[in-house]
Parts: sequence; C-alpha cells; structure tokens
Amino acid sequence: MSPMMIIAKREFRSYFDSPLAYVVICLSYFGLGLMFFTDTVGASFWKVDKASLTDLFVYVGPGLSALVVPVVTMALVAEERRSGTLEMLITLPVKDSDVIIGKYLGALGLVLTLLLALLVYPIAMFSWPWHLGNLDWGPVLGAILGLVLFSAASVAIGLLVSSLVRSQAVAFFVTFFVLVFLWILGALTDYVGQDVSQGLANLMGYVSFNSRLQGFIRGLVDTRDIVYFISVTLLALVFAFRALERRKWA
Amino acid sequence: MSDVMIRTSGLSKHFGSVKALDQVDFEVKKGEVVGFLGPNGAGKSTTMRILTCFISPTSGSALVHGFDVFDDPLEVRKKIGYLPQRAPLYPEMNVWEYLEFTSQVRGLDASTFRSRLGRVVEVCGLAQVLGKDIGNLSHGYRQRVGLGQALMHDPPILILDEPTSDLDPNEKAEVIKYIQEIGKDRTILLSTHNLAEVEQACARAIIVSKGRVVADGNLEDIRSRAGSVRYFVGFSSASNGTAAPTKQAARDALAALAGAKRVTESPTEEGLHRFEIAGAKEGDLRPEIFKLAVAKGWVLLELRRDAQSLDSVFRDLTRADERLDRGSGWRDTSEAAASDAQ
Repeated sequence: MSPMMIIAKREFRSYFDSPLAYVVICLSYFGLGLMFFTDTVGASFWKVDKASLTDLFVYVGPGLSALVVPVVTMALVAEERRSGTLEMLITLPVKDSDVIIGKYLGALGLVLTLLLALLVYPIAMFSWPWHLGNLDWGPVLGAILGLVLFSAASVAIGLLVSSLVRSQAVAFFVTFFVLVFLWILGALTDYVGQDVSQGLANLMGYVSFNSRLQGFIRGLVDTRDIVYFISVTLLALVFAFRALERRKWA
Repeated sequence: MSDVMIRTSGLSKHFGSVKALDQVDFEVKKGEVVGFLGPNGAGKSTTMRILTCFISPTSGSALVHGFDVFDDPLEVRKKIGYLPQRAPLYPEMNVWEYLEFTSQVRGLDASTFRSRLGRVVEVCGLAQVLGKDIGNLSHGYRQRVGLGQALMHDPPILILDEPTSDLDPNEKAEVIKYIQEIGKDRTILLSTHNLAEVEQACARAIIVSKGRVVADGNLEDIRSRAGSVRYFVGFSSASNGTAAPTKQAARDALAALAGAKRVTESPTEEGLHRFEIAGAKEGDLRPEIFKLAVAKGWVLLELRRDAQSLDSVFRDLTRADERLDRGSGWRDTSEAAASDAQ
C-alpha cells in the first residue's frame, strides 16, 4: 500500500476510534428521518403520497454543509498542527501531497460511507422488505452521484480551511460559514435577480453548490456541474497542499 | 561514501526578523553520539527540523547521509529516526497500531515489522503497554513509544529532540540508558539542556547560543575551554573562644589573595560564612586560604577546589542569552567576565 493510502486508512479509522463519527452518523439519520417522514419541514412523505425520494435528497445537501463536513474536516490538519503530530507525520518519508490527499481521502471516505448508507431508504421502501410504489431510480442515482461530487468539493474546502488555521474550533466555524454561504447563494438568486441585477444573480447561481445540485436531484446529470465540482475540489486541494508547504518558509 | 553522517554548512534560518539560526556549521561522524546543547530558544529544535526536512533553511545547506535536505527530503527521512520535542503521538491509537502505522508508511513489510517490533519492545521496554491507548500512557511511556517509532526501521541516524524533558528522574535515567544502548551502533544527535545527561551519554557536545555554535568538541576540550577554577570556602562565624570574622572582613581578606579573581558570597548557614572564589586555572589557592585562616585564627570549616564543570562552561558560553532576557543588554562574554572581576 502506498503511504498515501496508509494515511487515508489511518484517518478513516481514527473517526471510529472517537465517538464523533457515530454521533454524526446517528444525528444525520435522525434529522433526515425527522424532516422527511414528519411534517416538521413542509409536508411529509406520507402526505405528498408520491413514490419519490426527491425531498429526502433536498435535505442532505444543507445537512452536509452545515454539520457533517465541518465536523469531519475540522481536525484534519489544524488539530495535528496544534498537537505537534503533524511534525511526526511529515518527517516520515512521505511527500506533502501524500499527506494532503491521504487525509482528504480518509475524510471523504467517511462522508461517502454516510451517503451510501442513504441507499437504505430507497431499497427498504421500494424493493425489499416494503414495496410502497414504483420508484423511478434515475433521480435517486442522479442525486447520489451529485451528492458524491458535492461532498468531494465540500470536504476539499474543509481540508483547505483546516490547513490554514490553527484551531479546530476556528476551522469548524470557517468551514461552516463558507459552505453555508455557497449553499445560500443559490436560494438568493431569485431575489437578487428581481431586485438587484440579473448578472449578479447568474454569477451567484453559477458558483452556488445549491444550484449546481438541483439538476442531479431531479435526475439531470449535466457535465458542466460535474466539471464545476471537480474543479473546486482540485483547486482546494492544491491550495491545501500549498498551505501545508508554507510551514517550511514561515 | 565518507563517514560524515550529518554536515551543515552556513545554515541560517530567519523567522521574520528573528534570526533563529545564524551560519551554523558542524559535522557528525558515523557512530558518534553528540549532545546538542543550548538554552531554550537557542536554535536546537530549528536545526533538527531542518535536518529532518520539516522546515527549510533560509540559506546554507545540510547533508544527511550524503543526501541534501532540500533536494532529497524523502531519502533523508528514510535514513533518520526522529523524535520531536514532547513526543507528539496520536492519542486515540494504541501502541501497536501506532508502531504499525509508522512502519507501514516507512514501507516495512509485515514480517520485517514483527521481527523489528520484538527488538524495539525489548530495547524500549514497551511489552506492558502494547495494547494500551497512547492517550492513557504516562509521559515516560509516550517518550518510549516515540523512541520506539524512531527505531522501527533500524535507521543509521537518530535525531532526538529533548528526549528527557518533562520526565521524572527515574524515567530520565531509563531513557538515557536506552540511548546509551542504541548508541553503540548508530549516529545520534541528541538535544537537551540537561548537562548531566550529556556527560553520561555523549562523547562530544555542540553548544549553541542565539543561533550560533559557540563550542564544538569532545567534552574534555569543552571543559578545558573555561578560564577559571572555583573554590568553595566556609569560615565559622560562631565566636566560641576563637576569633570569628565578620562577613565583610572575611570577604575582603579572600579578595586580597593573589590569584583570586572574584569572590561571591554563597547563602550563609547558621554559624558559617560561605564564599565562592573564582581563581585562575593555573596554580592552587588552597594553601593560601589555609594560611590565611591560620594567620587570622579563623576556623576553616570548608575548603574545596572544583575544576570547571560542564555546567558552568555552558553558563559561561551562553551567558549573553540570559543577560538579554533580563534586559541588561547584550555584552560580550569576555567583557562581562572582565567587569565581573572588577
């Protein structure tokens, strides 16, 4: 196994050595179930009375942005830098890029585990053991693909923030605000388009994670959205790598 | 390849306007155990971080096992076992997992790992804690795990940054014992500010102060660099029938002796005036002090001559640091010594 994958494995496993991973997974499922199956936010699945999980996936994006990704990424580099273990890690014979990508894959692995676990809903509700109707699988798979790309970009941003700051609390809040901001931009486009300027609204829709994800959730896989998420991911990773390298010259 | 394992030339490192290292040159040869000494903030850790390619020098270069730290960081790190200050380890992993992790990153296969683990556990005394979480270990054990991690790949060079700080005296003694043990067939650069440890474990020392090397040589040479010898004298101050000096009288009499450079009062005990005298390296003041006591009729309770210890050499050589910290401005050590003698 390459050093990169060993670091990724250690990172992934370390989530399960602390209660954090379990708490985040349980909270996410609890919150998601609450919103989807009861009337807390909008009409519940039972009232809507359609064989569709679109509403479920609509809630996943904000949940990941506001809670899961900031929590999962906050400690990645910031905590290691604070406690000094970063020095131990980097002075092993590994490249800086191995450290960054290894940590990235470890964190992304946890988020992807969470996303794949979401497949329990369509399977349990529409194939086995229950059969609540004929589910159109296109939008479900589209949404999962979209959320995977969305998570890839969000985790990369979280990693970048964590490698820029010294404390994981600061990393949490900065990541939280950046991701929530990127999400809310999409919701604001309509108002901005009517009251301010259409150009600005277009720009906001262009960068918003929310707008980019809508197509996937409806089952529309647009290459432009795929390229957008992948570009953001790569850009954030490159900057995170630079941030880690910066220690040499500081 | 030559037997020079570590060579730095003109190594400098600036943090903003602070010069952490200023033209540091030294060499460490194969099989040497070298003590890297200096007050806190003198540049010990900075040097070690450069040697392990964690940070880059502002100017100058360093070769480790023939590889340049700037051009071949991975090769350098493969040859090094490094224990950073305070042994930072992942608290949530247990000892076995941690050693396995570092070994895997270093590319050891499973069978090599197992055979090395046996030896490392033996040398570092880790058998009792292999299954324990690192977060629950005492500092001494954590230090041992850090040392174990540095030894797993059997590196020719070990760089240990203050391996004994924060340990209790028993743990210190043990870590030093391990270092003596593993130092038999390796090159070790060991930083510390505990001089007794250097005297136990190292044959050679490099002393740094304010980012510069101020002494480099075997311990005997460094000791002999000191210009003076100390005498410890104590007179009885109780006046039971004999003549007893006042403190001032005794001090003046001692200062008047030929060859006494400087007399300082030591803390006085009940019934005893104590003084510390700095004398020239050549000659011996003890007969003079004895004759003085006889002539005055004073009772001499203590008289001891102390060739310069490494401890005081260290203080002499790094004195400027301390003066600067106390706000009295930087003075050259020779200047300081001259004014002290007045």
